[in-house]
Amino acid sequence: MAAKKKSNEKSDLNKVPFSTRVRPYMIVAPSLIITIGIMVPFAMAIWYSLTNYSFKLPNHKFIGIQNWVNMLGDASFWGAVKISVLYGTISTVIEMLLGLGVAILLNNLNNGLSKVLRVLLVFPLMIAPVTATIVWQLMLNSSVGIVEKLLNIFGVYNFPWAAAPGTAMMTVILIDVWINTAFIILLVLAGLQSLPKSPFESAKIDGGSAWFNFINLTLPMLKPSLYIALLFRFMAALQEYAIIFALTKGGPGDSLMSLSLTAYQKGFKFQKFGAAIPYILVLWLIINIAAKRIVNRQRAAQKQAAGLEE
Amino acid sequence: MKTGKQRTLYVLKNLLLLIYAVFALFPLIWMILISFKSDTEVFTTTFLFHPTLANYREVLIRSDYGRYIRDSVVVSGGAVLVSIIVGVPAAYALARYNFPRKEDLAFQILSYKFAPEILVVLPLFMIYQKIGLYDSYLGLIWVYQLISLPLLIWVVRGYFEDISVEIEYAAQVDGYSWYQIFFKMLVPLIKPGLVSSALLAFIFAWNSFTFPLILSSNKVYPVTVAIMKYLGTDSAHYGQLAVASTVSALPAMIFALCIQKHLVRGLSFGAVKG
Amino acid sequence: MAEIKLEHVKKAFGKVQALSDITLDVKDKEFFVLFGPAGAGKTTILNTIAGITMPDEGTVKFDGKVMNLIDPAHRNVAMVFENYALYPQMTVYDNMASALRSKLYKTSEEEIKERIAWAAKVMKMENLLERLPSQLSNGQKQRVAMGRALVRTPNVFLMDEPLAHLDAKLRNSMRTELKEMQANLGSTCIYVTHDFMEAMALGDRIAIINEGNIVQIGTGDEIYYMPCNEFTASLMGDPQINIFKARIIEEAGGYSILFAVGEDAVNLPLPKDAGIYKAIKENGLEYVDLGIRPQNVKYAFEPTEGYFKASVYSYESIGNKSVIVAECGDYQLRMIAPNGLNVAIDSDVYIRFELDRSILFDENTKKYIVRYDEENFKALANNSEGK
Repeated sequence: MAAKKKSNEKSDLNKVPFSTRVRPYMIVAPSLIITIGIMVPFAMAIWYSLTNYSFKLPNHKFIGIQNWVNMLGDASFWGAVKISVLYGTISTVIEMLLGLGVAILLNNLNNGLSKVLRVLLVFPLMIAPVTATIVWQLMLNSSVGIVEKLLNIFGVYNFPWAAAPGTAMMTVILIDVWINTAFIILLVLAGLQSLPKSPFESAKIDGGSAWFNFINLTLPMLKPSLYIALLFRFMAALQEYAIIFALTKGGPGDSLMSLSLTAYQKGFKFQKFGAAIPYILVLWLIINIAAKRIVNRQRAAQKQAAGLEE
Repeated sequence: MKTGKQRTLYVLKNLLLLIYAVFALFPLIWMILISFKSDTEVFTTTFLFHPTLANYREVLIRSDYGRYIRDSVVVSGGAVLVSIIVGVPAAYALARYNFPRKEDLAFQILSYKFAPEILVVLPLFMIYQKIGLYDSYLGLIWVYQLISLPLLIWVVRGYFEDISVEIEYAAQVDGYSWYQIFFKMLVPLIKPGLVSSALLAFIFAWNSFTFPLILSSNKVYPVTVAIMKYLGTDSAHYGQLAVASTVSALPAMIFALCIQKHLVRGLSFGAVKG
Repeated sequence: MAEIKLEHVKKAFGKVQALSDITLDVKDKEFFVLFGPAGAGKTTILNTIAGITMPDEGTVKFDGKVMNLIDPAHRNVAMVFENYALYPQMTVYDNMASALRSKLYKTSEEEIKERIAWAAKVMKMENLLERLPSQLSNGQKQRVAMGRALVRTPNVFLMDEPLAHLDAKLRNSMRTELKEMQANLGSTCIYVTHDFMEAMALGDRIAIINEGNIVQIGTGDEIYYMPCNEFTASLMGDPQINIFKARIIEEAGGYSILFAVGEDAVNLPLPKDAGIYKAIKENGLEYVDLGIRPQNVKYAFEPTEGYFKASVYSYESIGNKSVIVAECGDYQLRMIAPNGLNVAIDSDVYIRFELDRSILFDENTKKYIVRYDEENFKALANNSEGK
């Protein structure tokens, strides 16, 4: 409905009133104003990456791209990238599939169980990640852990969980899934609530099977919400550090040293803040690219979904 | 009347849900169990132990716990409130209007989530010290916008986009002003998206610890920072940690209970898009 | 109620020119129909009148007053949207009451109740009043959308295909109800449809719109009998008019036409008509497009004097009658026949044109030149306009 701002030929009778034209900017402005300030710290961080800023040194001086060169030369850097991407991708995929399935079940069943679970299943998200990790650690503990006791029944003893490099990633992903599937469930459930009924009614008349309806009707209309859930969860999963830190601080060895963790270690443990920044900026770049791709698909899915409702 | 096949399907669905529920909820029960165990028993017992209220006493009564909770409520609640007031109109504008660089703007808001807080927290520390926002409610509420605003705007924007624009036209023709239309017609229709993203934003703001750790010290002390106390020392008090975390999760649980009616089908309009 | 005028209204959406130059004059209390194919710009015109869309150029006037800068809420128009636009969170009753509860058009609750009861009765939906839109079928939603408009007393009713999703029976009864209501209430009504029978039945006058331009405005009869070009002639009439190339040759005492049937040419004499002969002579007409309506095409299954040969392409029932399509050289000719005939595809059929009902079009511009009996039809049009 936005009128195009034409040249001066337009008579006064055809100009959209100023208050209406300016309205979109007016209502977006507050969000921008509140958040635009972040550009300054962001720029400062980039600046610090070009210095040898450290809490140990009284002053810092400009050292150019030395930090960046060091990072690219650091063998563990590429490992860190791999770990971040692996962790982020696997946990997100599992959470999306699991979350989608559970949300559909919750939406589909309308009995007492599902109504109660709709609220309860969000609770894992509310526990501080550090605490959740510790609770799981205790559960997986090889002497008194309940999971250990369970595995004993199947003849598995002393499963290494976080102690061995091979299984540490799996353990940390398990905890991540436990906490964050709730995020997906909540968003997908909300999305399922607002699906229009009429396409489904027409489909019922056409005699489609439930699976067919799901693939061809529900899913396309749900895609915009799914992409949003995917977007936010993926961005967060790539950055995850609380869980890893609480579990093994990055170990055993270097097996869980993601980019976040490496940056944290360099910045806070070794206090070389300037050297830590490039690692985070690389993470920022990876997320930027991934987000752009997902957003493009989300916008396309939104437009398509709008067409389906006619 | 359900056919045999339908009934098996029904049982199967309930079963699957139940299995997931056990997975999701059991650790919570475990955590509550731990809260009743003394430190010595945490690593030596499973289900059979001597329950004690010592942890509860220690955390809730002896320490300043009530105050921590209060600070968290003010900061997280305040942040989400600000995000709603500022974000819902922005989401509407991004959904309805077509102004140049609209998508760039939306992406810009999203970009606040592209990097962990540690990137900006130290520069922010310096800035906050300079402008006097260090260790203040306002300072944290403001910085928490980076956490809550993007999610709220992007989710709610989707819900606005789902509302057929003709409903607004119809309301205009009926004689309502833009403000009346926005508050009386549109906002009720975005409720599922609004409450779900508000709850999530609240949870994320509540659980954030990097910002409060660095950007505030004694005056504003959210509970997440306090929880760190139970870990940092040489002897971790798991029992107390469990108490602290359980109680810390209560406000969010209450929030979730309050909005649950908006997550239940029934009132679902279903005809929003038509 | 008001007289609605659009003067040289232009509107573009991005690169698409939705309205090129629209000038309309809807009289007070008139039932004015906008008719045309999809995408012609009919909805844009309604939106411009309602104030939802602001024209790039041109003015919108209600009773002479310029309305361009007045927002929809203050124009006092009642609109029925093509996609119903019902408020999802309100019951049918509240949907219909919505306008009457706004500050601008405030009415007492008793009055609201009365009006809704009346409208519900007319639209046959008294039992739906407590339902939510999500619980209604498309046809029911459409009725509610109508009802929501009917309870108001606006300057003008704007209706965008309001009967499109109703089943045929309901559509017919609604049509009658609507026309009667409009006459009784004395309301100005601008009505969009792509169903030409609806247009003919309901409209005091009809405007044919195509690609953002007004092609012709007139009464139903005017447009049907004297369409301004071939496009309009094809639009109005079901089955579609037959148009084919013909060559006029002068013969002793008059004219006849030659038209091609495959390799041969058929020679048919043009009956005498002052208007036709004058037009031919004055314009030096030789090659023309001849238009003849299906009901003026006669057929026989045996060779008959004055009939030429063609072959049957199809035979289809369209309700209480059928259409025979005959293939004749390069052309397909449509004609009307009764149901239940035993017609074999590809069999021979013999055709005669009632040329004294035909219309002549310019073969290049496709515009209307003249028709048989023009004088009488013009008089008919003038009379009906007076009503």
